[in-house]
Amino acid sequence: MSEQHEIEALVSRDYQYGFVTDIEQEIIPPGLNEDVVRLISAKKNEPEFLLQWRLDAYRHWLTMTPPTWAHVHYPPIDYQALSYYAAPKSASEQAEIDANRPKSLDEVDPKLLEMYEKLGIPLHERAALAGVAVDAVFDSVSVTTTFREKLAEVGVIFCSFSEAVHSHPELIKQYLGSVVPPGDNYYAALNSAVFSDGSFVFIPKGVRCPMELSTYFRINALNTGQFERTLIVAEEGAHVSYLEGCTAPQRDENQLHAAVVELVALDDATIKYSTVQNWYPGDEFGKGGIYNFVTKRGDARGNRSKITWTQVEAGSAITWKYPSCILRGDDSVGEFYSVAVSNNYQQVDSGTKMIHLGKRTRSTIVSKSISAGRSQNAYRGLVHIAKGADDARNYTQCDALLIGDRNGAHTFPYIESKNSSAQIEHEATTTKVSDDQIFYLKSRGITEENATNMIVNGFCKEVFNELPMEFAVEAQALLAVSLEGSVG
Amino acid sequence: MSAALPRAIEPVELPEWLRAALSQPVTASLAPTGVQTLACEQILSWGLPTARDEEWRWTNLRPIARLSATSTIDNTASPKTPATDLTAFVPNAWVIRCNGGQLQPLPQNLPAGITITPLTEASEADCAAAFAPRAQGRNDALVALNTALAGDGFVLDIAAHADIQAPILIDWHDTPHEANHSHTRLLIRLGAHSKATLIEATPSSCSNTPLSTYWRNAVSVIEQGANSQLNHINLGLGDYQRLLTDRSFVHLERDARYRSIHIQLGGQLTRHEIDVNISAPGAHCDLLGLMMPRGKQVMDTHTRITHGAPHTTSNEHYLIIADDAGRGIFKGRILVAQDAQKIEAYQNSRNLLLSNTAEIDTKPELEIYADDVKCSHGATIGRLDDEAIYYLQSRGISAANARKLLVTGFAQEIIDALPYPELIAHLSELIGAGA
Repeated sequence: MSEQHEIEALVSRDYQYGFVTDIEQEIIPPGLNEDVVRLISAKKNEPEFLLQWRLDAYRHWLTMTPPTWAHVHYPPIDYQALSYYAAPKSASEQAEIDANRPKSLDEVDPKLLEMYEKLGIPLHERAALAGVAVDAVFDSVSVTTTFREKLAEVGVIFCSFSEAVHSHPELIKQYLGSVVPPGDNYYAALNSAVFSDGSFVFIPKGVRCPMELSTYFRINALNTGQFERTLIVAEEGAHVSYLEGCTAPQRDENQLHAAVVELVALDDATIKYSTVQNWYPGDEFGKGGIYNFVTKRGDARGNRSKITWTQVEAGSAITWKYPSCILRGDDSVGEFYSVAVSNNYQQVDSGTKMIHLGKRTRSTIVSKSISAGRSQNAYRGLVHIAKGADDARNYTQCDALLIGDRNGAHTFPYIESKNSSAQIEHEATTTKVSDDQIFYLKSRGITEENATNMIVNGFCKEVFNELPMEFAVEAQALLAVSLEGSVG
Repeated sequence: MSAALPRAIEPVELPEWLRAALSQPVTASLAPTGVQTLACEQILSWGLPTARDEEWRWTNLRPIARLSATSTIDNTASPKTPATDLTAFVPNAWVIRCNGGQLQPLPQNLPAGITITPLTEASEADCAAAFAPRAQGRNDALVALNTALAGDGFVLDIAAHADIQAPILIDWHDTPHEANHSHTRLLIRLGAHSKATLIEATPSSCSNTPLSTYWRNAVSVIEQGANSQLNHINLGLGDYQRLLTDRSFVHLERDARYRSIHIQLGGQLTRHEIDVNISAPGAHCDLLGLMMPRGKQVMDTHTRITHGAPHTTSNEHYLIIADDAGRGIFKGRILVAQDAQKIEAYQNSRNLLLSNTAEIDTKPELEIYADDVKCSHGATIGRLDDEAIYYLQSRGISAANARKLLVTGFAQEIIDALPYPELIAHLSELIGAGA
């Protein structure tokens, strides 16, 4: 009986990161038209080419319709009711006078720092102890960047997107939209028109980035869409590992997040992109939560290049996300490791696309999904072998674990082959946590909750092994929290 | 999925001749008037499906739109090769011939337990059952077209407890006929505890004249009573040029068993769809298939198995061997409804791609809303094993023969499931010749 109480206590526990930081925000009134696009561009002092690029994307967006093929259900979004720009006030003033940007943490709004404390991101400490440079994004404008100098020594550029537009316009011009064209899909077009900020990483030829780069996102303002834009370029022989993690405060109104991430890997380059996503998933009745409609794509442009996506998806009311690899270079490698956990009324439609164009390209997909509560969790993936992709190789494994009988686990793999020398393997299983395993562990004195956690962790181990160490620890804790109350 | 690679999409409009057929007051249709009118309106507003439609992502229906208004089958030309008579391979079959959708005289002296009634003579209730809502699919244009234009068909009843040993062979014998298309509808009902084998052959014994201008669009409704067993064999053999679309709606009652073996070696464009609705505990279905697209053939199989009741099982196994510029498409969906616990469902799609101009697309899907289930699927696309060919060559077998052996061996998995040794031998020969 006491176990029952314990579980009930866990079930009723609120989302622990749900709070609002009281900072004055500068917000453009809701609505979207060309003037808003111009205003965003002007606020950021953007060069003419970028404004034109945004406007083209906006005009293209007007001709498109939202995709309906995903296995998710939500009321239509009123794009005119959203506000498309928000910046912490102090930071936006600094944006006008770039020189006034905070030089150190002391200059940052103390309330902001307080919020990061609550979130458990001790910036300086983490940076010092873990050797991680954090480009913390608060809503839309970068507030502080650490370890910039250290990276600059080896020639690595790691800064906010708006900063890069001013300091390295030629790189932005060359690579922006080269992987995800502005008209790629509905949400990518929207993002291209109104993107606020994001991160830019450039690893020059032959450089191995000396530390893991990391960005923490945080959505804060009420009714503000968050439109991040991340661009990572690894030149010949370069190597970088990038970490992205997010939490968001509790809200009743649904919030739209339509980010775009572009990766470019030239000859012999390696990019490893890891995500732990824990945005507010809505309450136990499915009210509120983030809509996470993200376009992530890596272009393994060079020969022998490699792109790895690793993700742990635990949050968001709706996830619509397909980190993909275009394996263009000969002998290029694409990898996708994913754990997607859904509970309560969450809906996940996620997976990957592996487009094999080059010869001897190889891809591996390992997807683990866990559905609990009344959630729907779908894997949707594409493996495409083009005519010229001689001796291409793909291995796909999708496993789904069901906890409870009111949820759904689905698998929709698309497999297309046009080359007779290619080899493709796909396998998928769907099962529940076996009663025998639970019984065995319980007979050894382990509670049902712990037993389930153990089994689920084992189920995900293959993916966790791919995460950087500190992320793997966080991911395991996140998994346990996400599934709390779903057993018993 | 946002198209990373652009896909040419051209809308497929309803061709003029089809529009004309639909606008005329259709006296030929056997569907109840209300149902028929609705289907007519639906198809006129939908048009033929395009690649934008998820169900038609890989199969283009333009060959249908391009058909000329009348059939140009030359019934005077003599066949270049002797016609295959399937009855030689299937002993003691009861043969029902259908020519261009027209039912030929029925065989006499049918054994007790089999009743065949042409839909034109069937009771109102039977007609209604043949066009029941659950046999309409969901927004399916081709089924609506069949409903609107169904010109012929029959009701096949197997009486309760009847054990029909000899197979019933439906010979889709599309020789000379004026129209360029036909729409047939079958209602097949098995009484409780009955057993039967049904073979559909297209075309088993017709000439080899090019039938590039002929399209058959068939719908079958199969209803199996408790503990009944049906072996449903579908053979698409000779005749490269035909367009063929068919769809079966299978409904299984308690402990019923349905087994489908589909072998497609011929046809310019074929689309084979099976919907199995497992509605009561203890029922089981086996779906087996082999498609061998060569030349410019396009062969497509779509299956949907719905586990609507607990304690039900299904097993699916499909092979594609694509050569030349052929295209093979498989899409299989297993749906487990909420509260349908203790389900076991397996799905296997194995494919052999023999040429760089051929293409294979496969999409095995699982959609599961219950938790106490064991469901899995596997899909592979590969080539012949170089080492196996080398091994055979080192034993003095020519490369061509080695290839033949390996391809036939691959196909054997499905062929061997057929219950007729003569038919197995004949098919192995056809497959070997094609490899």
